[in-house]
Amino acid sequence: MSGNNSNTITVAIAGVGGQGVLTLAEILAKAALAADYNVRVGEIHGMAQRGGHVMCTVRIGDDARGPIVDPGSAHLLVGFEPIETLREIHIVAENGCVLMSSHVQYPVAVSMGKAEYPPHEEITKSMKKFTDCIMEIDAMELAKQAGSSMALNMVMLGGILGTGVTPIDKDTAVKAVRSAFPKKYESTNIKALELGMSTVQELM
Amino acid sequence: MTKAEELLEDTIGKRVLLLANEAIARGVLEAGVRLVALYPGTPSSEIGNNLTFMAPHIPNFYFEFSANEKVALEVAGAAAVAGVRSMMVCKGPGLNVAADPFFSLAYTGVRAGMVIVVADDPSMWSSQNENDSRYYALMGNMPMVEPADPAEAKSILLEAYEISEKLELPVLLRTTTRVNHTRAPVDFGRIRERPDTVEFEKEPYRFVPVPAVAKKRHPILLELMKKAAKISELTSLNFLHGKGELGIITSGVSYNYVLEALTTLELDAEVLKLGMTHPVPEKTIANFLKRHKKTIVVEELEPFLETHARRIAQLKEIDVEVLGKEQGYFTRTYEYSPRIVIEALSKVTGRSTSINWTAIDKKVKELPELPPRPPLLCAGCPHRATYYAIRSATRGKAIYPSDIGCYTLSIAPPLETADILFDMGSSITTACGIARVTDQDVVATIGDSTFFASGLPGIANAVYNRHPISLVVLDNRTTAMTGHQPHPGTGVTGMREEVPPLDIAEACKGLGVEYVKSVDPFGPMAKLVADVREMVTWVRENQAPAVMVSVAPCALLTAAERRRTGEYPPKYYVDSELCNACKRCLNRLSCPAMYLESETEKAVIEETLCNLCGTCTDVCPQGAIKQEDA
Repeated sequence: MSGNNSNTITVAIAGVGGQGVLTLAEILAKAALAADYNVRVGEIHGMAQRGGHVMCTVRIGDDARGPIVDPGSAHLLVGFEPIETLREIHIVAENGCVLMSSHVQYPVAVSMGKAEYPPHEEITKSMKKFTDCIMEIDAMELAKQAGSSMALNMVMLGGILGTGVTPIDKDTAVKAVRSAFPKKYESTNIKALELGMSTVQELM
Repeated sequence: MTKAEELLEDTIGKRVLLLANEAIARGVLEAGVRLVALYPGTPSSEIGNNLTFMAPHIPNFYFEFSANEKVALEVAGAAAVAGVRSMMVCKGPGLNVAADPFFSLAYTGVRAGMVIVVADDPSMWSSQNENDSRYYALMGNMPMVEPADPAEAKSILLEAYEISEKLELPVLLRTTTRVNHTRAPVDFGRIRERPDTVEFEKEPYRFVPVPAVAKKRHPILLELMKKAAKISELTSLNFLHGKGELGIITSGVSYNYVLEALTTLELDAEVLKLGMTHPVPEKTIANFLKRHKKTIVVEELEPFLETHARRIAQLKEIDVEVLGKEQGYFTRTYEYSPRIVIEALSKVTGRSTSINWTAIDKKVKELPELPPRPPLLCAGCPHRATYYAIRSATRGKAIYPSDIGCYTLSIAPPLETADILFDMGSSITTACGIARVTDQDVVATIGDSTFFASGLPGIANAVYNRHPISLVVLDNRTTAMTGHQPHPGTGVTGMREEVPPLDIAEACKGLGVEYVKSVDPFGPMAKLVADVREMVTWVRENQAPAVMVSVAPCALLTAAERRRTGEYPPKYYVDSELCNACKRCLNRLSCPAMYLESETEKAVIEETLCNLCGTCTDVCPQGAIKQEDA
């Protein structure tokens, strides 16, 4: 084990403001608490949320005290978007894993033609300098398959469960999802979670 | 169940995952607070966001979103003087706004418990500075407490009310972003009842600090601080943890990093954790310093505790090395992390860190440069249309004083309509200063909530002194940046009652602005541009202030409403036959929902991100952006 992590499981979640990163972190942590684990979530709100890069941490275990995760300390880096994942790659532990959605959301600098979005191979090649354990899914495609692009974060939640890195089982997670959203989104969300979970399990 | 419903539950002992801000909202119930007044400010926003939805369900409770922080502190301060427990909440810069009543309140004191919650923002995640509010406690002689996590946020809040009532002084509860925005398990306690109304007993020779009264109150305040110092020696908020040769003094969120660092380094140290940081427990600190040859002080921002430790060591002639920022072990900027503490402790003790961070840093440096993704105006934001019009009408050549809100994001290309900003309301007043000493056009922008918070005196000033400025009020019908709180222009109160809203255009007319016009940012763009041009010309000719109110709801509110009703306007798309790849839409609007299709070099609208505002249709010179079925 490493960093500030002696007996804790640390998940770092990166994405773009509006993708549901904060919501995912809260649900994951609620599930952890429901399973009687000590847990900490680190979030940043306000200006940082407006379509910019967002990073959230979930730390599960007795020694989790503060919200901040040091470089080289995350057991799992969850990325909602390729370059936002790469932006946080330093956080992953040497023996840690990356779970990344391959769906690209261009930053405005790229849309305007002022910067280039790096080729996919370059992104994964750069990541491999930090860890060999990289799992990729197209979470946007799976979310749409489940019924709504808004369920992107539920696909990623399923993906996290699928990696088996956290001590949270599917039933506990589903319960946390049920209590977090209005009934009308329930079937889409749970379908998204299941699709994410099974897709990642097949990759393992 | 919503978060507010959960926070209202009368279930003692229930363990819930809460942000410290939510824990503080719950603490309001458990402390029997009768009145809370605040102006929203990140990182403190969720305190009010929850209280406003809890308030209608709490008997004998009043909550308001005040017009600004000074107002909030005066409302809450007076309630505590009248004899009920009260609270005021603000972010760090908000306490600057409320500084005037802050100092008076220390002199007059209060009859029932009062807590002022101030949330500082090391690293400036959403603030214009990282001022260290602890110095307010020092300068104003107000007792101060600092929680380290969500559970302490509630338990220390409850204790702060006890301290406040023992001293008849308000207590400052200071948090930092990483406390406010950490989620952790918190146990619910007993809900305390609140009184209905109280009788205001007159005591003007205490509560009206004319010089004769103030002269008496200052020594009384200093006496009360001696009593506070005794409380600080005895309170369980200040405690020792662990044993070891090395001494560590810490407070707030840094306490967590210290414990994590000690575990990681397998290092023994005695830690003095201070939950009451003003007045500091001098005897406790002196005894602590005597036990250790080396004591390291771990605190974010300024060397507040460190200076106290040095002062006490000098005063008591203690032979100890106090290590901290003064010798460069820690920085005075930005928030800390376990790594920062681990590295400092490694330097002091000669132990090596468990992770090879140098190697990681080196690998990070070798990574390809990534396109940046700064925060920006949302897809469908009405401000984008207004700024596009301002920029087009003035050809980018005017001076654009900005203000505090989402719209400050117009600093970024291609809008580039933020040239100067000090604080809330400064758009109007900095415009006055610039207009007086240049002959350039000045077009200032301010949000609706900021207008009511701090804009009105600026308008009065501009009208009376006849400053030639153009002001555009970006009225998106809410306080958007901090999470959509109501303000006096919205027609909803903190108690969720519907009331007549104040009208910004009418307010400006009432203050004597001769040129006032309301516009729709989503109307035809050519008209919007012409409207801005007309206003700027009027100002030039009349040498007096003019106001334009650009009214359209925040895109996030519109999107939420559409999700609720399920009713969506037809989609927009780029007709690739007509698009000649000029990229004007991409280059002038920087809408997050549009991108360049790399193969065709033509613009595309990403429908999952588009918020259906249609601003882009008017920007396309080819008429290639169209709406379905329209």
